Amino acid sequence: MPNDYSPQELMAIFLARDLRDGEVLRVGVAMPVIEAAVRLAHLMHGPNMELIFFGVRMNVAHLHSLPMPAFAWDRRVVRWAESYSDAGHRFDRVKDWSNHVFFIGGVQVDPYGNTNLIGIGSDYAHLRFRGPGSVGTATLSTHVGRYYIVLNAHTARTFVERCDYISAYGWGTGGADARSRFGLPGGGPKYCVTPLCVLDFAEESKRMRLRSLHPEVSLAAVQAQTNFQLVIPEHIPITDPPTIEELQVLRTHVDREGRLRR
Amino acid sequence: MSAAERRQRILDEVEAASWVQDGMTIAVGAPAPMALLRQLIRRGVKNLTVIDSGLSLDLLIAAGCVRKVVSYYAGGGFGVPVAPSFRRAAEHSEIDVWECEEGILTTGLQAAAQALPFLPWRGGVGTSLPEVNPDLKVFPDPVRGETLIAVPPIKPDIALLHAAAADAYGNVQHLGGPGWLDLFLHRAADRTIVQVERVIANEEIRRDPWATTIAGAEAIVRSPYGAHPFYSRGFYVQDNAHLQMYVEAATAAAQEQRSEGLAYYLAYYCREPETHADYLERIGIRRLLELHEY
Repeated sequence: MPNDYSPQELMAIFLARDLRDGEVLRVGVAMPVIEAAVRLAHLMHGPNMELIFFGVRMNVAHLHSLPMPAFAWDRRVVRWAESYSDAGHRFDRVKDWSNHVFFIGGVQVDPYGNTNLIGIGSDYAHLRFRGPGSVGTATLSTHVGRYYIVLNAHTARTFVERCDYISAYGWGTGGADARSRFGLPGGGPKYCVTPLCVLDFAEESKRMRLRSLHPEVSLAAVQAQTNFQLVIPEHIPITDPPTIEELQVLRTHVDREGRLRR
Repeated sequence: MSAAERRQRILDEVEAASWVQDGMTIAVGAPAPMALLRQLIRRGVKNLTVIDSGLSLDLLIAAGCVRKVVSYYAGGGFGVPVAPSFRRAAEHSEIDVWECEEGILTTGLQAAAQALPFLPWRGGVGTSLPEVNPDLKVFPDPVRGETLIAVPPIKPDIALLHAAAADAYGNVQHLGGPGWLDLFLHRAADRTIVQVERVIANEEIRRDPWATTIAGAEAIVRSPYGAHPFYSRGFYVQDNAHLQMYVEAATAAAQEQRSEGLAYYLAYYCREPETHADYLERIGIRRLLELHEY
């Protein structure tokens, strides 16, 4: 097993393993980890996946090498598109999104996977930190079959007991009916992936649970950077490290510029 | 037979931009019609409600034109996750923010276009959006009793867009599709001004009427490289060096109280050039020619 890989590469590989052929992967405000995960899954085991980058829908399984597009309408992304979803139609078919997958970041995330892109501070008119805004996360998280919370850093400032504002509703205040109670059709957040670990949500309470620690990361390190009590299983698995093949495809076909190794 | 002629709609950017008055609600398309926005900055238009995202919104805020923001994403890029002038103005309560999200925004624009008092939407149920934006009303629907959000109409006075081509009668063509929300903005707005890379003959429009994305824009502005520093599909890519310069200047002004760079940017690129041609001369033909797509 290779032992020279970055946490971001591991995150991308973990996500790629969880994506299934035939799914529609919606990449909005893309982070390199998410772009890489989606492409890696598509190339390795997802010839029937559809990738939707910012309204541009494509299947590029026949291309063995893809540069990472720049954010927002990079002409190379546009040239591979088979269709657009932006010509005056944005969310016209949400009824058919059960096999769609989405990815969310956040300034804050709470124990039930609710996320915050609005800002930090008790006075909305005078926020201590004004975030970028909800993007499409409220709509996407409501309707997609499942989504992942992907964070560039695992810090106590991010993992808070309560989000100051919720821009995407995860599991609310907990309970298996947290979403059905509001009539939200989508499946909600499945995993929260950070450079330290993978977290999921306990079946009945929907409280955030440690699913696996990344290799050489201690439980104490995770707890020190999490400002609430996680559900800790008796036996804590280690996130399966990258295989040689996964790293090779990632580095030679997906992330040739090494953006995940900076 | 009528002796009167069909009205042509071509205006220059100075006259077209004069339609925007203080206090209006404007919608900005993607790519942003920068030749028009720079005219607004030059005139010192103020107290605008601006429906926009990203760095074009940030520039209008930096220039002091904006009272209220309707944005689902004020991202920065170029090393900053949040647009710097937007962030500072919001944190200091210098602008009002009509908090929304992409689905809510398109629903509100649709409600305006269809002359409805509201349209329902599900995205946002369970979030803080209705709390921080009291115009969004959570309600049980009258048919099935499901929890939904009633989104009121979002109606711009003027939509400002950029496209590839149009004829003199306001029939617009986009290369590679109209950007993002452009058609929503156009349908909701009272009037639409489109700046274009080229004006084409009406015959070319009638050769392929399916390619007409907007029929009958109220004004067309001849504006080659008019989206600079943003991309224009089929014509030029984004000028990242220029945007990096702007973001650094705006961040220094917003976060470090060093405003000379931003003041220089606003003066040199927005307020001093009288016309779009004057602006392009400041960018320089050499730089423009470097921005080819292929």
